[in-house]
Amino acid sequence: MPAPTDRAARAAAGFASLAELIHHRAAAQPNDRAYVVLSDRGPEESDITFAELERRAAALARRLAARAAPGERALLLCPTGIEFMVAFFGCVLAGVVAVPMMLPRRQSARDASAGIVRDCAPRLALAPRALIDGGRGDLVGRIAAPGLEWLAVDDAQAGDAESDAGGDEGPGSAVPGVAPAPSGDDLALLQYTSGSTSAPKGVMVSHANLLANLAMIKTAFGNTGRSTHVSWAPLYHDMGLIINVLQSFYLGALCVLLAPVAFIQRPPIWLRAISDYRAEVAGGPNFGFDLCVARYRAEQMEGIDLSSWKLAFNGAEPVRAETIRRFSDTFAPHGFAPATIYPAYGMAEATVLISAGRRGAGPVMRPLSRDALQRHRALPPLDAGDAQTVVGCGRALAGERIAIVDPASRERLGADRVGEVWVAGPNVAGGYWRNAEASDAVFGARIAGEENAGGADAGWLRTGDLGFIDVAGELFITGRIKEVVIIRGANHYPQDIEDTAQSCDPALRRNGGAAFTVTERDEPEKLIVVQEVERTERHRIAADEIIGRIREAIVREHEIVPHQIALLRPGALPKTTSGKIQRGRARELWLAGSLDRL
Amino acid sequence: MPPGNLTETEIRDWCIDYVRRTVDDPSIAIGPDATFAQMGLDSATSAYFVVELEEWLGSELEPEVVFDHPTIADLARFIVTRPGGGNAGPD
Repeated sequence: MPAPTDRAARAAAGFASLAELIHHRAAAQPNDRAYVVLSDRGPEESDITFAELERRAAALARRLAARAAPGERALLLCPTGIEFMVAFFGCVLAGVVAVPMMLPRRQSARDASAGIVRDCAPRLALAPRALIDGGRGDLVGRIAAPGLEWLAVDDAQAGDAESDAGGDEGPGSAVPGVAPAPSGDDLALLQYTSGSTSAPKGVMVSHANLLANLAMIKTAFGNTGRSTHVSWAPLYHDMGLIINVLQSFYLGALCVLLAPVAFIQRPPIWLRAISDYRAEVAGGPNFGFDLCVARYRAEQMEGIDLSSWKLAFNGAEPVRAETIRRFSDTFAPHGFAPATIYPAYGMAEATVLISAGRRGAGPVMRPLSRDALQRHRALPPLDAGDAQTVVGCGRALAGERIAIVDPASRERLGADRVGEVWVAGPNVAGGYWRNAEASDAVFGARIAGEENAGGADAGWLRTGDLGFIDVAGELFITGRIKEVVIIRGANHYPQDIEDTAQSCDPALRRNGGAAFTVTERDEPEKLIVVQEVERTERHRIAADEIIGRIREAIVREHEIVPHQIALLRPGALPKTTSGKIQRGRARELWLAGSLDRL
Repeated sequence: MPPGNLTETEIRDWCIDYVRRTVDDPSIAIGPDATFAQMGLDSATSAYFVVELEEWLGSELEPEVVFDHPTIADLARFIVTRPGGGNAGPD
């Protein structure tokens, strides 16, 4: 039986599943545009109304239902475009679990694709016809799996022919005659943004989770049916999918999309679209705001008026005070109001959003002691040199609870005490797909002394992030205990990066490397890779040449550039008694300059 | 805007100069035969490099051109030999 808050959230959401939401939108505003997709150079490329989207999704759902039972998985391999939305909502109507995936990078030999396919055992793969036919390298060859069938989302003829053969209308079914309507507890999607390349973890997001978080986002953001969104975030990422594409759909608002590469190449396209469509809501990871400032050219801003922009949400990586200041200063002359900046915090394990600010209130900034933060304490700075401005990530959402907990003793900590951030609420997902061990470690945690609590307090999500809550309820994130490297909003796992480095040359020691990040002042985190060399090889290797190859491999495989790569003498890295590298200790030694370099 | 038809050498020199300024790390060797990845250009920085190169050339390039032509030498050769391409070839 669902907990009381769960029921309340569902009642507030008003829909039993996303399938009901689709039918509601198509009936309520059939001819309004749901999505507009911009070309990589700015002009409109395609669009779709709510009614047309329902029609195309239903046609696809009939094709899906003929091939997969409800609950089976379908990979979504669609770049930013109308096909992604048709594929996602087609899965919803057929009761098939959508698995959004990043398209494999052409220059990368190994990425998470194989691990994801192995983990979720998909029945179907959905992509635009052009990609299936080889328009972007050998996609079909890279995503091979036993029994996997490919379907072209935009194969309209096939869809219509098959839908003609479709059956009778049945009341209450998602797609008349083909699939029972999904219930709230059914899975809507698996979100693979956690876990290493070799062992990815799919967060099980149910319809109820999505509807609860969509209702929370609407309330926290103060969104309405007139809240036009403009987004460049990739759709396989929870921020791109849920905070933009699904939130706007939930509201009945327009969402204007551009591809991530279009934004990276020409950030003003995003700003111009916000201006042209009089958008209210547009955001992304912190680096996107930095990029807008770095690429700023006054002559490219002609005719851009940012005064309609009400909510510039910033999340998916640490929010930096310096970014906020520079962005506000740069774009204020173009109508941007500083209070539009809206820091937020979340993760896929909580559907997407965990905390957020108040619309129009502006970010909450607090100067703290840098030295004390290193020791996980939140104290006033000793002097100007010790001051570090930390940006608040808002408060708990309606119907959700956030606790700060000592990760070792599991005791709840009071205001201004730094501990692990724990979350409970109807947006917290059910666990990782077919991974009881990882699920037990992260979901269903108990606070010491509150073990007998029932209902919403029965199980907490351990975020792996460190932070504190001030007396006003504002959440500040100050660090993390999980071993993950977050660069440009993407999560990377140290063991993947170390493995890539060690594969570059036989002279490099297996299990003799460490990847970690360092942060200088208010800068974004920077990746450091240190790697031991085999004893027998240390006098005959060409260090610069090997370092060049390590850099190339890490850029190719992980799309990040190490700030520094250093080769070490054998045995230089600290290890546990069982021989595992101690990354935290290695980082301390690196910062102290006492790692024994070659 | 560059003058008329550029030679392969001029394009190489411009690219080397651009990458050197972007990477800004004396420990990394910048040259025509190193891959963009070796020189520390990831997909984001190389995507912007393509935009700047387009503007200088005055003709369009696909964002993924640097994956198909992964060194400065390859890229410059591609630009001057592509059929009907931008500033290509003798007139």
